[in-house]
Amino acid sequence: MSLAWSFYISTVLVYLGVDIMACWGLNLQYGYTGILNFSFIIYQAAGAYTAAVLTLGPNTTGGFQQYIGGANLPFPLPVIAGGIAGGLLSAVAGAIALRRLRSDYQAMVFLVISLIATAVVTSDAGLFNGPAGLSVIPQPLSGVLNLSLVGYRWFYVGLTAVICLIVYWFVRRITSAPLGRSLRAVRDHDQGAAALGKNVTGLRMTSFVVGGVIAGISGAVLVEFISAWSPGAWLYQETFVLFAAVIVGGTANNAGAALGALLVPVAFLEATRFLPQFGPPGLSEALQWVAVGLLTLIFLWFWPRGVLPERRRIIPLPGLQQARTGLQRPFDYEKTAGTR
Amino acid sequence: MFLHAIGFGIVTAAVMALAAVGFTVQFGITNILNLAYGDVMTASAFVAYASSSAGLSPWWGMVVGGLFGAVFSVLLNRFLYTPFIRRGARLFTMIIVTIAAALILQNCLQAIFGPDSFSAHISAGATVRVLGMVFTATQLILIAIAAVALAALHGLLRYTRLGKAMRATASDPELARNCGVPTRWVIDGSWLLSGLLCGLAGVALVTELGSFDFTTGSVFLIPVIAAAVLGGVGHPYGAMLGALVIGLASALEATYFNPAYQDVVAFGVLIAVLLIRPQGIFAEVASQKEVAA
Repeated sequence: MSLAWSFYISTVLVYLGVDIMACWGLNLQYGYTGILNFSFIIYQAAGAYTAAVLTLGPNTTGGFQQYIGGANLPFPLPVIAGGIAGGLLSAVAGAIALRRLRSDYQAMVFLVISLIATAVVTSDAGLFNGPAGLSVIPQPLSGVLNLSLVGYRWFYVGLTAVICLIVYWFVRRITSAPLGRSLRAVRDHDQGAAALGKNVTGLRMTSFVVGGVIAGISGAVLVEFISAWSPGAWLYQETFVLFAAVIVGGTANNAGAALGALLVPVAFLEATRFLPQFGPPGLSEALQWVAVGLLTLIFLWFWPRGVLPERRRIIPLPGLQQARTGLQRPFDYEKTAGTR
Repeated sequence: MFLHAIGFGIVTAAVMALAAVGFTVQFGITNILNLAYGDVMTASAFVAYASSSAGLSPWWGMVVGGLFGAVFSVLLNRFLYTPFIRRGARLFTMIIVTIAAALILQNCLQAIFGPDSFSAHISAGATVRVLGMVFTATQLILIAIAAVALAALHGLLRYTRLGKAMRATASDPELARNCGVPTRWVIDGSWLLSGLLCGLAGVALVTELGSFDFTTGSVFLIPVIAAAVLGGVGHPYGAMLGALVIGLASALEATYFNPAYQDVVAFGVLIAVLLIRPQGIFAEVASQKEVAA
């Protein structure tokens, strides 16, 4: 493998790992709990920012970039702090929007939160260094390991894979536990879940904050690798790509979400990178977004449950035999949209 | 200074009211939160721009933009939203569909017109002093257009058969249909109406701002949503009130503090409403649609 390819493939693999983690986090919120979190990307950005600041070292006045706080923590700590930051920010946003709002109304509020966050961060240079963001973030352990440039990249691929496995184990613990069942109950019929004594808002909040922590961790892993952070990279459209990934891969299915991360942000968007650039600058990017939107619509129309659909969980009890046939569609409960 | 800010706020509020009323009326009748609304506004502004570049008077451009918004909204509903609803798409799915539509529309606009900023064709005109507030002639015309459009909407909803049918459909579509209201046509009518307001608001917005690009409408959607939510989503008079409050508040903020934070005012209002009274000031429609409880 030539050097350039080695560089490229290691980069793509790290991005894949980050996207897979993000899709698991989003899938926990969207697929399992039914929260349409259109501000997912800002929790990722918050985690990334925290991790960056905690690796950059103390903020020297008169330095070329301004940031809040600043410390020089050893490797795993910035990533963990990133997760905490994502979780805290989620808790704040969740406290505002997760009360009894209708699901689409909630989604609209989250979208507005995402748009405003971008507006605030880019318009005020004093707070987060404005649109320039942060750069020259030192890469973790690079001083200790003494690897070649390419060697370090492959080391980081391994590191990402390990963090991915930890996140997977964690998400899997939730989704296959009684907690996961409660979350699905909240998603399918929140009033029914409440009637059975489940704390609906609390369960939504749990899932939302855990998703936020995962978002923060994934952002931190990304920023430590590319060693730069700018608000322009965390726009609401990026959340939409993750949604597209989860929808294409399979909602409420962790393997599906991972497959979606491979198919949409990586395969679909990377493949177009190899097409020749055409037209004025920005044209091919715009068409890429159009393609992502169309892909989502096509899947929602033809395969709304994705490539790997959610496993049907049926409890075989003799008395339930009849009820089972009546439950062909798992989502019969919630009111459908609009007026027919 | 203060009066100047108030005057500016009134202009902003007039444009915002046009947009917010269109957004909220359409939600009230069809029960879909159409997040592609802002991008339809931008598209209408581009159509108006193109038509006046082709030699039409800019005020005719506004008519063309409004008509485009109306027709486009009806088509969007007929060929994208309604098919999904017929398939039994949940509210959940519909919001993703509308965001996908917004993304596609916005990026199509970018692909066609490029990322550059365009300047509107209407010049500001002479300045006029009204009660100590300074307006340009164009701004006064915009306020007049908004006032006439909203008064016409009021008349339509209140005094015509179509308006009655719309209100019936908004409050209970099943019952309305059983009583012989052709809900399908009423829904088309409501998309046409909200699209008209959307198109007018889009052209008015870029006229007021002076320059625009492919993101102008989607950025403006934040205060529009805030105005609609503040007034009680689905309630046209609430949306007008919300637009007035947010228009004035953001103009005052821009005058006395940092103009970069104008949209943050709208956001602050939105958060406050969601925390204190999520169903908005006029809560009837919002409560009945179980938007917030």
